[in-house]
Amino acid sequence: MIIRTAKRNTIWVKIFSLCCFFFFWPGPAWALQTHPAPEGLYAHMLAHVFFIITLGIFTYWLHSTGLVRERGWRLIQLSCFMFILWNLDTFTVHWIEHTMTRDMFITTGLDWSQRLAMTGGWRSWVYYLGKFDHLLCVPAMLFLLMGLRHLYKETGTARLAQHD
Amino acid sequence: MLGSALMIIISFVCVRYALLLRRTDRDNVIWTYLLWLCLALALFSVSRSVGHIAKRLLLLSERGDIWVELRPFSGSINSLTFVIVGSITLFFQRVQQINVQILSDKRAIEKASEELRWLNRNLEEIVRQRTEELSKSEEKYRRIFEGSMDIIMVLDPDSGFLDINQAGLNILGYASKDELIASATLADLIVSPQNPKDLLEEIAAVGFRKDLECKVLTRDGENRTWLFSLTARKTTDGEAVGFEGIAKDITHRKKMEEQLLQAERLASLGELSAGVAHEVNNPLGMILGYTQLLLRTEPKDTQNYDDLKIIEKHARNCKVIVEDLLNFARSSETQKGVLNVNDLIHEVISVVDHQFKLDNITIETTLDNSVPALYADGEKLKQVFMNLLMNAKQAIEVQGQIQIVTDHDSSRDEVTVTVVDSGSGIPPEVQEKIFDPFFTTKPTGQGTGLGLSVSYGIIKDHHGEIFVQSTPGKGSTFTITLPVTFDEGEETG
Repeated sequence: MIIRTAKRNTIWVKIFSLCCFFFFWPGPAWALQTHPAPEGLYAHMLAHVFFIITLGIFTYWLHSTGLVRERGWRLIQLSCFMFILWNLDTFTVHWIEHTMTRDMFITTGLDWSQRLAMTGGWRSWVYYLGKFDHLLCVPAMLFLLMGLRHLYKETGTARLAQHD
Repeated sequence: MLGSALMIIISFVCVRYALLLRRTDRDNVIWTYLLWLCLALALFSVSRSVGHIAKRLLLLSERGDIWVELRPFSGSINSLTFVIVGSITLFFQRVQQINVQILSDKRAIEKASEELRWLNRNLEEIVRQRTEELSKSEEKYRRIFEGSMDIIMVLDPDSGFLDINQAGLNILGYASKDELIASATLADLIVSPQNPKDLLEEIAAVGFRKDLECKVLTRDGENRTWLFSLTARKTTDGEAVGFEGIAKDITHRKKMEEQLLQAERLASLGELSAGVAHEVNNPLGMILGYTQLLLRTEPKDTQNYDDLKIIEKHARNCKVIVEDLLNFARSSETQKGVLNVNDLIHEVISVVDHQFKLDNITIETTLDNSVPALYADGEKLKQVFMNLLMNAKQAIEVQGQIQIVTDHDSSRDEVTVTVVDSGSGIPPEVQEKIFDPFFTTKPTGQGTGLGLSVSYGIIKDHHGEIFVQSTPGKGSTFTITLPVTFDEGEETG
């Protein structure tokens, strides 16, 4: 017991000595990385990429497991396609917005309203059209709803058939 | 604004349908998965659309500074919802696999449960049917087992009887299976081969033995000949746990074969004897004739006369032997006529009865009065009966009984004469030789060994049969069968 206590004391002495060494001889503090403005946008865009990949995998699984033979799952697969398109659209708009300059917009007097000057060439056109992303995400959500509704109805029919 | 509102509304309707789906089957993990996916998408819709709406409202109310503060949070939450939806999506395959497994297990359990319910409902009927089938099968095999004319037996590893059919019991002379099981094993009953235990060990090792000839002792001490097929009953480890045997009783067939063999042997001996007797008979006649001529001229009190008398005596003895040999060989003349066998027996008994009584031997007769007349040589048949009685007397030695039975078998049209004595019996090894010429068990000089040979020859000459059954220590039974049929061609012999 006496030998063990002596060993433990030696370890604490070593740790204390090491801390003193770093305290009295400090170096530049590079360890913590700071995150300036564009990182948020990149993180958001990478989230879109992750969303695209997972939806792609989900679409593939729906196909490989043969679930798409049923109409309900086929509609859900279609919903995935639409969400993938929506993600591509928003990713593109985010990227173009990041590259556009202030002179490409006309301020109308109200801060919350902007108009495109259409001076950015194809980027302005893509940006303009890409802003209608509801035309992709709303149908995507609608297909999902239709798919679920169909699955629910089929399940009900199957249950009725079982009871019969 | 409209798009954002639609996104929120539709996403919540999706959540509702996912909930409804889940309610249909709470154990279905796919529906649970879809509910989580819809919830994540609803969260995504809210985060996205609320961000848009809040932005518009704040800017309209000239509180753009608040939006500037909120915007990073809105974007971050929006990014987070993508990740959540994507992450949930990645679980789909695993969830689907689990669902397939669960459904498969569920189906298997349902099937097993259904079978179990069916069995439960029909168990009584199934048991009844199986019992009936088993009973029919048992009855069928029991019928074969019990009805077989051959012996069928089941033995334990030590050759003790576990079961035996009725034919086996009848042949072995036991009243019941229990009596046999309690009193003997198969090894105890086998007389030949001499080491039945070694034989059983060999069968246990090899597995079976086919067409094995065995002599088996019955309860009455009789030896029966069986043709055995024995199979060892083995466990999966190869250990013999018993035997199953089928045996055919071939005693009668064996006896017939032996009799046939003996008849053939005696026929050969007869031919030889007839040849020798004929050759010896003539010179013997010459010796006897010249001896008698010399005796006429020779005075009685001389040495020559005595010598000639000795020659005559021995020549006559030789003559008797030669005549016996000719009788055995059926070469001597027969004087056949119509006669009653019962009368012949009475005549023979009247001759010997006095002497037999002096020797404490009683003769009992059970003579069938319906015995028909025979066409036979009376003198020769009397000689046969005399021979049999003399043999019986010699077998009895001191005191005993002789029984003579006559019978008529109308179906075979035969007359049977049976001579049973209570003498010492004949050993089995001697039985097959007793009809051979010159075979005798008596000391030298007391018998020629021709008595039974001559009897055999005479009976054969009458187209009959003579055979013996004897158990040492219990006496012997000589049986003679004579056909009743008249043969016109044999009137003159």
